[in-house]
Amino acid sequence: MQNSNNTPDIISTVEFNHTGELLATGDKGGRVVIFQREQESKNQVHRRGEYNVYSTFQSHEPEFDYLKSLEIEEKINKIRWLPQQNAAYFLLSTNDKTVKLWKVSERDKRPEGYNLKDEEGRLRDPATITTLRVPVLRPMDLMVEATPRRVFANAHTYHINSISVNSDYETYMSADDLRINLWNFEITNQSFNIVDIKPANMEELTEVITAAEFHPHHCNTFVYSSSKGTIRLCDMRASALCDRHTKFFEEPEDPSNRSFFSEIISSISDVKFSHSGRYIMTRDYLTVKVWDLNMENRPIETYQVHDYLRSKLCSLYENDCIFDKFECVWNGSDSVIMTGSYNNFFRMFDRNTKRDVTLEASRENSKPRAILKPRKVCVGGKRRKDEISVDSLDFSKKILHTAWHPSENIIAVAATNNLYIFQDKVN
Amino acid sequence: MEVQKEAQRIMTLSVWKMYHSRMQRGGLRLHRSLQLSLVMRSARELYLSAKVEALDSEVSLPPALPSDPRLHPPREAESTAETSTPDGEHPSPEPMDTQEAPTAEETSAYCGPRPAKVSRKRRSSSLSDGGDAGLVPSKKARLEEKEEEEGASSEVADRLQPPPAQAEGAFPNLARVLQRRFSGLLNCSPAAPPTAPPACEAKPACRPADSMLNVLVRAVVAF
Repeated sequence: MQNSNNTPDIISTVEFNHTGELLATGDKGGRVVIFQREQESKNQVHRRGEYNVYSTFQSHEPEFDYLKSLEIEEKINKIRWLPQQNAAYFLLSTNDKTVKLWKVSERDKRPEGYNLKDEEGRLRDPATITTLRVPVLRPMDLMVEATPRRVFANAHTYHINSISVNSDYETYMSADDLRINLWNFEITNQSFNIVDIKPANMEELTEVITAAEFHPHHCNTFVYSSSKGTIRLCDMRASALCDRHTKFFEEPEDPSNRSFFSEIISSISDVKFSHSGRYIMTRDYLTVKVWDLNMENRPIETYQVHDYLRSKLCSLYENDCIFDKFECVWNGSDSVIMTGSYNNFFRMFDRNTKRDVTLEASRENSKPRAILKPRKVCVGGKRRKDEISVDSLDFSKKILHTAWHPSENIIAVAATNNLYIFQDKVN
Repeated sequence: MEVQKEAQRIMTLSVWKMYHSRMQRGGLRLHRSLQLSLVMRSARELYLSAKVEALDSEVSLPPALPSDPRLHPPREAESTAETSTPDGEHPSPEPMDTQEAPTAEETSAYCGPRPAKVSRKRRSSSLSDGGDAGLVPSKKARLEEKEEEEGASSEVADRLQPPPAQAEGAFPNLARVLQRRFSGLLNCSPAAPPTAPPACEAKPACRPADSMLNVLVRAVVAF
């Protein structure tokens, strides 16, 4: 089925760094674009820090696996930042098979006045050198360089869906459909396999891993979600291979909601720890759920993202939309959660007030400084003036990837090949 | 009847999606294949249960010999060897002892980790219905099925394109198997479709879906 969602600049991942100063996006063409927030100056108080392009580089290229006769897509599946420890920035980016550690650093000075080289860098004739001079650093135009520092390859048979940096800042994990590997940042030719759910007989395969994440504070704990709608929490202290979970989160299925496509729509597409580490949030096709780590038998909160699609599942199966993998994010204080939908809509749920809002990321509605108007989808017969009916929704415009600034109310929303950055209204 | 038609439509659609997913960049996606096979299994169960209900409500003829999948392949393999495949990429036909085992073997031969023992004896797996033997359609039902499928798949054919003639990619043998098995299902018409074995004209162009589905579902998941 030909569609417009195959151009190489379709954004496939969005991630703020730990301070929110940088925002990285990865796209289908294997490129990473990093935006940096402008420093707020006293002169321009009304102009809050805007994000401008800071660096662009090609992270992954298409490859070919000759052994299996398979093309390996260059699409960036995930980007994760490392916490900043010196002047340079480090991030992990991954495609289906290979994880790379990138160093992004600034250069704004250049050494000049070499003793042995001339200005063009050519070596001087030693006989002509009569004095000694030491190079000095002179300012130059800011240059941002991205260099690959580590390449972690050949560890995954299946397609990588997640990477997660551990809170020890020394290790990280990468997860594919059936296995999760633990890496040390310094070692690229080895990784530890910590989860393996591949059955001895592949014909008995019933579920795959869909997402995985480390606990934000406990470096021994991580969770992974499955295509069956379950979440497993594992403790690496228990055993080297964490095939047996410490906790198992599953909600019993509501028999009234059972349908032909129940199994597909219960597949979890994203799992995220809250910043506090007390909760996990999961996204399946129609809902977002918040789970308390201390309660395994059901989520503590369930939010309907677009329940009006429940009666359209057959059509959504036909046009492949039922397989879309939406992500979800917490705000900095874990009080609001956000996720995307169709028609370039995205939804926010306030956990305290239980209020929710639907907003749209579109050029028409996004003049600078304009305030986003809440949108509403009409499910019944009578459509009000501002509402949009379910049948008018554009399913080719989907918001799968969003990010929330770690401390402020700034959100980044990826709508196909456009990135929207929204900020809270300035009072 | 509507339920049956709808279930069949979804089965056909799922088969097409599975076939088409092979052509995607990045290769076969395990999660997607699993989801498609789950839908296909649900559709098949729905189809079979609807068929049972339909059979119960009719005057039943004495059932024909239960179709043993292993009886079909030798004839099919021979006729396929005679029929030139449209892709022409691999002129020598693959030797096939049994219908299902080589498919899984070929598939697993192309992927990295191969199961230690590939059982040639095909026992019913979790993906196949153990009660299939009792649900094999009778002669009369097969004729009816042919009529239904002709009617149903004419609209399906409008919506779906026939599978590409050229089998490329990771699993060329799987592609040929899919083409042969499902050309009937996908291009169901009274005139034999180009890749359907001509020797089977005595039988309906569309085979009973369940045995084929077992093959396909197992073949795809054994990636």
